Amino acid sequence: MTNTSISLILVAAGDKGVTQCHGFLMTANPTGHEPVFCTIVPPHLLDKAAQSGDPALAGPARRTLERDALERTRRRLTTVIGAPAMLPPPEASPGKPHRTIYDAGHLTDLPGTKVRGESDKPVTDATVNRAYAGLGATFELYLKAYGRNSIDGSGLPLNASVHFDRDYNNAFWNGEQMVFGDGDGQLFLDFTNAVDVIGHELTHGVTQHTANLTYFGQPGALNESVSDVFGSLIKQYALGQSAADADWLIGAGLLGPRVTGQALRSMKAPGTAYDDDELGKDPQPATMADYVQTSSDNGGVHINSGIPNHAFYLLATALGGNAWERAGQIWYDALTGGELAADADFAAFAQLTVKVARDRYQDGAELENVLKAWQQVGVPTQ
Amino acid sequence: MRIQVTRTGGFAGIERRAEVDTSGRADAHEWHALAERVLAGGHEAPPAGVPDGFSYAITVDGTTVYCADPRLTEEQRGLISRVLKEGA
Repeated sequence: MTNTSISLILVAAGDKGVTQCHGFLMTANPTGHEPVFCTIVPPHLLDKAAQSGDPALAGPARRTLERDALERTRRRLTTVIGAPAMLPPPEASPGKPHRTIYDAGHLTDLPGTKVRGESDKPVTDATVNRAYAGLGATFELYLKAYGRNSIDGSGLPLNASVHFDRDYNNAFWNGEQMVFGDGDGQLFLDFTNAVDVIGHELTHGVTQHTANLTYFGQPGALNESVSDVFGSLIKQYALGQSAADADWLIGAGLLGPRVTGQALRSMKAPGTAYDDDELGKDPQPATMADYVQTSSDNGGVHINSGIPNHAFYLLATALGGNAWERAGQIWYDALTGGELAADADFAAFAQLTVKVARDRYQDGAELENVLKAWQQVGVPTQ
Repeated sequence: MRIQVTRTGGFAGIERRAEVDTSGRADAHEWHALAERVLAGGHEAPPAGVPDGFSYAITVDGTTVYCADPRLTEEQRGLISRVLKEGA
């Protein structure tokens, strides 16, 4: 009935740290019922798409997004109206998320005060609702696309804390929950603004429960990369975007008004996401020729992740269609299949993607394009 | 007293550094007391952090200690915050 829960705490890019964290137990709400898939597209994503400089793109994009949002709302309302009066115990309802959002109240004690539980109505705080929707979107992709029941595959409750510390410019996964900061409003905005960031953090939980890649050097960059890959796929799935339509950006909507840039990372063109007086230039390489040797950032985990990120982009766009289907399936099989070592380097991961692509799709376009993608970024598959 | 803070990692992976020289400052004694408590409570090597968490190196007159989110003491958090906000 009770499980160790996973919480998400998003912290904004601030200059402050979390003072402490601790695990906690969560009991599912026994009175309500929440529709299984209640993904409401975060308003900022709608805004972002609608702000495209090209009216030929912005108009249709806006209409598509509005239609998507409307359909999701309709589906949600239908499900709510048709819901049974009693919520079955969580172990009897696989396929339903168990979300709890906490407000850290600009302090650093986790998790903070519970402000929205599963099946609760939206609250007035948009940050809380974005976190709730983002957890739902993440849960939905993993279940619908890969048959995975939550982060651990066994319905683990999903917990997130918002409004962590003051002006905090970061979001992180503490091993048990997500933490989101509000940003300082200048360099970074509210970290719940980007659903791919929420998906990124929760995917750290998936990795922790599967390959458990060491957070340093190449395995650390792989750990970061799979979080970017599935974070982006969660956004694409929520927006109904094909590989060709997706922006392949990580953290679009996070940068504040003072920053010159469009996002924090680009899977399509690593190294081009921002170029700013204060933040500097996006340091990500796209290929092994530009691999960065560094001792900072845990050996460059947020830098060299550009290489496997770009390989995934190349595969997904070569295959076409929805990236979460064949390309995402291959990455998911490699990550969760039990054969990926915790200390795997890029080549070990690449070789495993070749193997799982052949296992699942035999000698077709999938295998051919997996080999091509790794070759293009300079990672050997032999 | 020269107090330097270097913050690495975080979701963005963007490094940030700042330094405060307390000489001539009216509140120098406050800085000294805080810095000494931080030196006493810090790690000699970078501790394991959490995915996307910030890591910090704090150097006080040539002596460096390390700490990482989310396990910071109140003193560490306070000093880091002040140096990154007020330092150059």
